[in-house]
Amino acid sequence: MTQPAVTAVAAPMAAPVPSVAPIVAADHVSKWYGQVIGLNDVNVRVPPGVTGLLGPNGAGKSTFMKLITGQLKPSKGTITVLGEPIWSNPSLYFRIGFCPEQDAFYERMTGLEWVRALVRLNGLTEKGADEAATRALTAVDLMEAANKKIGAYSKGMRQRVKMAQALVHDPQLLILDEPLSGMDPIGRRKTIRLIREWGRAGKSIIVSSHILHEIESMTSNILLINNGRILAEGDVHQIRELIDEHPHTVYVRAEDPRRIARQFLESDDVRSLKFEANAVVVETGKPDQFYARLTDMAASGEFGAIDEVTSPDDNLQAVFQYLVK
Amino acid sequence: MPIHDQSYRHYGGGRAAPGHSWLVIARAGIRTLIRKRVFIGLMLFALAPFMVRVVQFWISSQYPQASALAPSAETFRQFLEQQDFFVFVITVYVGAGLIANDRRANALQIYLSKPLMRTEYIFGKLAILFTFLCLVTLVPALLLLLLKVAFDGNVTFLKNNLFIIPAIVVGSLVQVLLASFTMLALSSLSKSARYVGILYVGITFFTTAMFGVLYAITGSSRVSWIAISANVTQVVDVVFRLKPRYATPWQVSLLVIIALIVLSISILERRVRGVEVVT
Repeated sequence: MTQPAVTAVAAPMAAPVPSVAPIVAADHVSKWYGQVIGLNDVNVRVPPGVTGLLGPNGAGKSTFMKLITGQLKPSKGTITVLGEPIWSNPSLYFRIGFCPEQDAFYERMTGLEWVRALVRLNGLTEKGADEAATRALTAVDLMEAANKKIGAYSKGMRQRVKMAQALVHDPQLLILDEPLSGMDPIGRRKTIRLIREWGRAGKSIIVSSHILHEIESMTSNILLINNGRILAEGDVHQIRELIDEHPHTVYVRAEDPRRIARQFLESDDVRSLKFEANAVVVETGKPDQFYARLTDMAASGEFGAIDEVTSPDDNLQAVFQYLVK
Repeated sequence: MPIHDQSYRHYGGGRAAPGHSWLVIARAGIRTLIRKRVFIGLMLFALAPFMVRVVQFWISSQYPQASALAPSAETFRQFLEQQDFFVFVITVYVGAGLIANDRRANALQIYLSKPLMRTEYIFGKLAILFTFLCLVTLVPALLLLLLKVAFDGNVTFLKNNLFIIPAIVVGSLVQVLLASFTMLALSSLSKSARYVGILYVGITFFTTAMFGVLYAITGSSRVSWIAISANVTQVVDVVFRLKPRYATPWQVSLLVIIALIVLSISILERRVRGVEVVT
């Protein structure tokens, strides 16, 4: 995929304008670090629910997260979170939970001590802090290790204790910066399940990752970011529709793939063909026409059995590849 | 058998209004320190001069023939000067890691994502050092005055030296605030408490040594403003209505102290951030 194609998509997308108030609204936000640009004229509305912030390393995800948590001041533009400006507005932090990417611990403290100490900053009494910390550690499935020193925690446990401190004061909005980073597969699965559960419990969550399937397993609502710009926003399938002018790959497993391939080659919209075991992978420029024709072929019975039709690129990976590469 | 809800539960308790988080920071820091036996030992040792003075005041009030031990306003000045050493040691022990340790642990980005303003964070950290320094200067000095009145059984000493209460308060605050602000600023410059401690000791000794060298060369103490400790000495002398011991005008010493505090605040303003921006 060439860069101009990216630019074409990066133009205001027909992302669904949420009818409900956005939880985060960035209005022409730019952030410079000296002469280096971290975020470039970002104009975005994040709807309630779980939203994935997706982009490669150095894309501007962490800058965006630090801006929406009020830790950085935009060089230009304004950011509102939960309807209020976030910069210099610490009272709004009662309603936000932030889990940073980096470890940020006193390793000599136990998980319980650490979470309890932090929640006190949210104005909870000692007793309330104790209860809230216990509840948060239970929520992230870490209560068994709550009295162990953080220094002895595995990477996955560290990520979970960081999430516990973000969650402990029951915020409306959770901002999780690469929460699955360094986790083992079981930890990932547990964390993904937790994030979905919190989303169902009514929390809005913005979760960043540079790994596509992670985000896809949490939500279909994404923000794609690269080079400090938002490339696309909205439902991953809607985004996919918007880039349908780009080649669309279809995997067809059939009894006689070569015979089917010969038929495909007669159509102008087919750009390439590749054979795999008992299957042919077709790249088409007009997916609607292609699927219609394929249905006709299957219905005619002239081409043998067509066992499976999938579109391997109808997922985040493909969207990401189209837009970023 | 009832099946309990295992799903996420929202917090239903109360919350304090914003603006009190500095107290949480201060309380946590103070608690951490008073759990250390070494530190408690240091604090008790720092109160040894106080105990000696208590005995001195008691003897002088009980035995008129021991008039040489009778305290004057200058005695309180001497007491504060004796405490200079402990102020120095406690400042290094308590202050070096106050911000440096948070920076090393990357804790600032989490602290400052809570309802905690940077000024509250700094104020909370300052309160930790301020509290312990006051416990070895202001508090024992005022307590000594109280004991003097109690031992005498009258307020004659106080009546004759009415300026002494404000002098103790101002003199102590000059010592404590300068030490607290400068150490806190240095602590924000590094992630290593050890390095900060060495830096503070180095700056203190270097400026004093510089003054000593210049004094030896010029034979005049007009350059005493170079030494941080000499500035404190000069100003506190004036506060206690004593003749300043150096030739530097006390106003200059006061200006140097104010400038150092302002510089420290400026450093803190730049360095205490959740996100370190390197440009």
